[in-house]
Amino acid sequence: MNPDAIANVAMGLALAPLLFGVINRVKAVFAGRRGQPLLQPYFDVVKLLGKGAVYSRTTTWVFRAGPVVGLASALAALCVVPFGGERALIGFEGDLLLFAGLFGLMRFFTVCAALDTGSAFEGMGASREVQFSALAEPALLLGLAAAARRTGCMSLSGLFEEASGMDPAAALPVFSLAAMAVFIVFLCENARIPVDDPNTHLELTMIHEVMVLDHSGPDFAFITYGAAVKMWVLGALFAGLAVPFRTGIHWLDAALAVAFMFAVAAATGVVESTMARLRLLRVPHLLAGACALSAVAYVLLLR
Amino acid sequence: MAAWIEILMILLILLDMVLPGLSRLSACVRAAALQGVLLGVLTLLANFDALTPRVAVLAGLSMAVKGFLFPVLLERAMKGAGVRKEVEPFVGYVTSIAACVAMLAVSLLLGQRLPLPDGGQGMPLAVPAAIMTMLTGLFIVVSRRKAVSQVVGYLTFENGIYAFGVVAVGEVNALVELGVLLDIFVAVFVMGIAIYQINREFDHIDADHLSMLRG
Amino acid sequence: MKMEIEVLFWTLLLLPAAGGAVSASLGNRRLMLGVLIASVAAWSAAVAAACARVGELGSVEAASSWLRLDALSAWHLAVMALICLLSTCYARVYFGEEMDRGGFPARQARQFCLLWGGTLSAMTLVLVSNNLGIMWVGVESTTLLTAFLICLHLSKPSIEATWKYILICSVGVGFAFMGTLLMAVSAKGTALSPEEALLWTRLWEGAAKLDPVWAKAGFIFLAVGYGTKAGLAPMHNWLPDAHSQAPAPVSAIFSGFMLNAALYCVMRHVPVLEAVPGCEGFATGLLRGFGILSILVAAVFIVFQHDLKRLLAYHSVEHMGIIALGLGLGGLGTFAALFHTVNHSVCKTLSFFAAGRLGQMYGTHDMAGMRGAMKVSPLWGAGIFGSILALIGVAPFALFMSEFLLLKAAIDSGSAVSAVLFLAGGAVVFMAALGHAIPLAWGGGEQRAGRRAGVLEAVLVVLPMAILLGLGIWMPDMLEAAISQAAGVVGGVRAFGLAGAQGGAR
Repeated sequence: MNPDAIANVAMGLALAPLLFGVINRVKAVFAGRRGQPLLQPYFDVVKLLGKGAVYSRTTTWVFRAGPVVGLASALAALCVVPFGGERALIGFEGDLLLFAGLFGLMRFFTVCAALDTGSAFEGMGASREVQFSALAEPALLLGLAAAARRTGCMSLSGLFEEASGMDPAAALPVFSLAAMAVFIVFLCENARIPVDDPNTHLELTMIHEVMVLDHSGPDFAFITYGAAVKMWVLGALFAGLAVPFRTGIHWLDAALAVAFMFAVAAATGVVESTMARLRLLRVPHLLAGACALSAVAYVLLLR
Repeated sequence: MAAWIEILMILLILLDMVLPGLSRLSACVRAAALQGVLLGVLTLLANFDALTPRVAVLAGLSMAVKGFLFPVLLERAMKGAGVRKEVEPFVGYVTSIAACVAMLAVSLLLGQRLPLPDGGQGMPLAVPAAIMTMLTGLFIVVSRRKAVSQVVGYLTFENGIYAFGVVAVGEVNALVELGVLLDIFVAVFVMGIAIYQINREFDHIDADHLSMLRG
Repeated sequence: MKMEIEVLFWTLLLLPAAGGAVSASLGNRRLMLGVLIASVAAWSAAVAAACARVGELGSVEAASSWLRLDALSAWHLAVMALICLLSTCYARVYFGEEMDRGGFPARQARQFCLLWGGTLSAMTLVLVSNNLGIMWVGVESTTLLTAFLICLHLSKPSIEATWKYILICSVGVGFAFMGTLLMAVSAKGTALSPEEALLWTRLWEGAAKLDPVWAKAGFIFLAVGYGTKAGLAPMHNWLPDAHSQAPAPVSAIFSGFMLNAALYCVMRHVPVLEAVPGCEGFATGLLRGFGILSILVAAVFIVFQHDLKRLLAYHSVEHMGIIALGLGLGGLGTFAALFHTVNHSVCKTLSFFAAGRLGQMYGTHDMAGMRGAMKVSPLWGAGIFGSILALIGVAPFALFMSEFLLLKAAIDSGSAVSAVLFLAGGAVVFMAALGHAIPLAWGGGEQRAGRRAGVLEAVLVVLPMAILLGLGIWMPDMLEAAISQAAGVVGGVRAFGLAGAQGGAR
């Protein structure tokens, strides 16, 4: 076990909710408010953990399994993704597919839990979530496949290691295309504007939030924390693709990567403050665009 | 330098993919203009080793015309015609994107089949990107309802030809380049006037309503 | 001598535009058209002088060989001068009638004079430029300048036709530019610099070393691009619209010469491509295909046509196809094609003149409403009937001769398929057009009193008719030599004797 990799995972676990804090702070600044404390997401998680959960009599074990499996998958993904020039905790040939699959698993259980409640709203949210991820997943997979083909490594850790040694002009085309696609997937998977509005109070327009309406107490804490970790993981992937170059100095790379993560969070906050949510019918267009970007990245390599 | 030209070519391809997907007419116009500016940069980069004032002036002129004059002309035509801002394509957005990826594959294939006689100077993407831009232009011309979008398609098509000329042929005579530039400029100008007249006679500029003459 | 030729070239290029500009600056509308006729006549005299020079010297060059006239371009220039002079005179007749009815305001007259002069200059540029890039600039300029001649009279259909014309032709001609660039790329491996590769003479001299793959790709683009402008099927969609909506004098130069100018650009590239090793027969094969397709497509549309000017427009598609087919056959076929160029241009000009005047008399171009033209106006009725007879290849007219030569070329060269399809298309056109023409000339129905035709009108009918009949019966030696030389440039047999072929015909 690589101690640096363990440190990276620990850092991810510790800092993930802070990303939400940063996003909220940026949005507050844009709106001219003071905003909630930066650490509010931590307080929320702690508060929720201390409360009891309420379960509807119509739900089954599936409903309870949703948050647990979701958090577990997010933690597993955190172990697979490399961070700051360091290899990931777990890495093997083909862990790209595991990475994408873990998100699939998480989504599957969240959706099942939502359907288990039998609520019309949650069913609607589930249907939208599945529709959008059906488009987001190929974008992610194709983008990763392009990067893998460029570097010749089927493992995320190896891929980033290989890329860091490449000539910038040679690596730039494929990696920047894949990074753009992954950023759109990042916005979609984390239910941010322009795909979904995390702050909306109207169930009809919600996608992700509406699915978890019936969860409460520790379950909801798991979901909130899982979402934060998921954001961290996808952010790390985006950071790796967008800036594949390393200085070679260990602590500096790590510090730069963390800084980049918070820059991404800040950028997300700026996007949310300046853009409106897309019309529901236009969201697939955005995701199709992400697929196209990945496809271009891949096709460029086919020559 | 070849690597940077490659990156420029990828930007060109990306703009090609974006163009059919834009829903606002003015965004389309601006994207085509941006392409024109990129082509000016391309001219400078392609002749970087032997940059003569003539090349620089021609590149600057083409950037000014394509990047500044055309958008102004078209925006004025749109304003004068009171055009609704949506593109209203015949072919839906997602289909367009799929068509773009298909066109990219075709142009890469063509680029492979037609290797430049001098080996392409380490720019394997140059010819495919030019063909892709041409195809995108044609696609926009045939798949869009609005006369303005068709002009944008025509401009994109011309951009593709220009890109091909820069990377594959190299330095053509200045007089020829000026003549071509002037012709394209006048073409857009004439199309702008025609749009104005279409609007005055028909109260809209949907080219698919231009269907009185048949057979 | 050298100086004189330079001056001659620039006169050819600038005189029509200058004449147009001067006449547009005048106040009186009739005077404007008069000055325009005078300037076109002066320009025609310059053309005659230039053609005489070419006859003496074989070819003349100017502006450091950017401008060049050889037998082929001189032949086209002579045809153009004839057509344009006739059409400009006709414009005086046609718009004179509109003025009598209170139409054709000074603004339109100014627009017409400026664009007409500019168009003539641009078409001259196409013919005299040795640089293929400048030639393209000339073709695109004719598109843009003529666009607003189509909608001289603003109306919904005319604007529709203008839009289709600008867009289809601009995109089509864009293809031709791509083709020009591809040809330049094919010269990359040779000693030619990119600048030289655009000069036709250099390209032709160095043709043996061109890269065959790129040259073929280039010719496809060129044939499609310039073919769009020439109205070859399947790129002909703009043509019937533009021809039917434009005022008659404009339709006349469209059909009479603009199409030929575009086809001329294709012709220019045929000898280059034939000289590239590995491309023999490629260009001609492509042209044969386009030619036959155009003939067949036009035949189908002619059968179901109601509008007289559209009917004539589809005849243009057919005849452009015939010329392309002749070029594709090579040898005697090239000779026939070039001979057909003048015949078709004169004949089509006459028919559009007649269609325009009759249209003014009837107030419509719908053939259902245009019956008994012979009674309404014996002169123009005879003009339209005679020219349609000539168009479908009836015997004493020159078009019969050139089509017959073409058929002979097809049979001699052993391409029986071309011959059969050409005959089939011709037969369909013959019956369909005759079915349209007889009621047009003699059909009964509501009759209007026509006006007495003036002397100028009589000349405009009699002169083309005389040319068509005269050339059908007797071909002057000088003309034969000129066409043979022009055909020699395209790659036919240089010293081809027509006498033998004519002997065979009788």
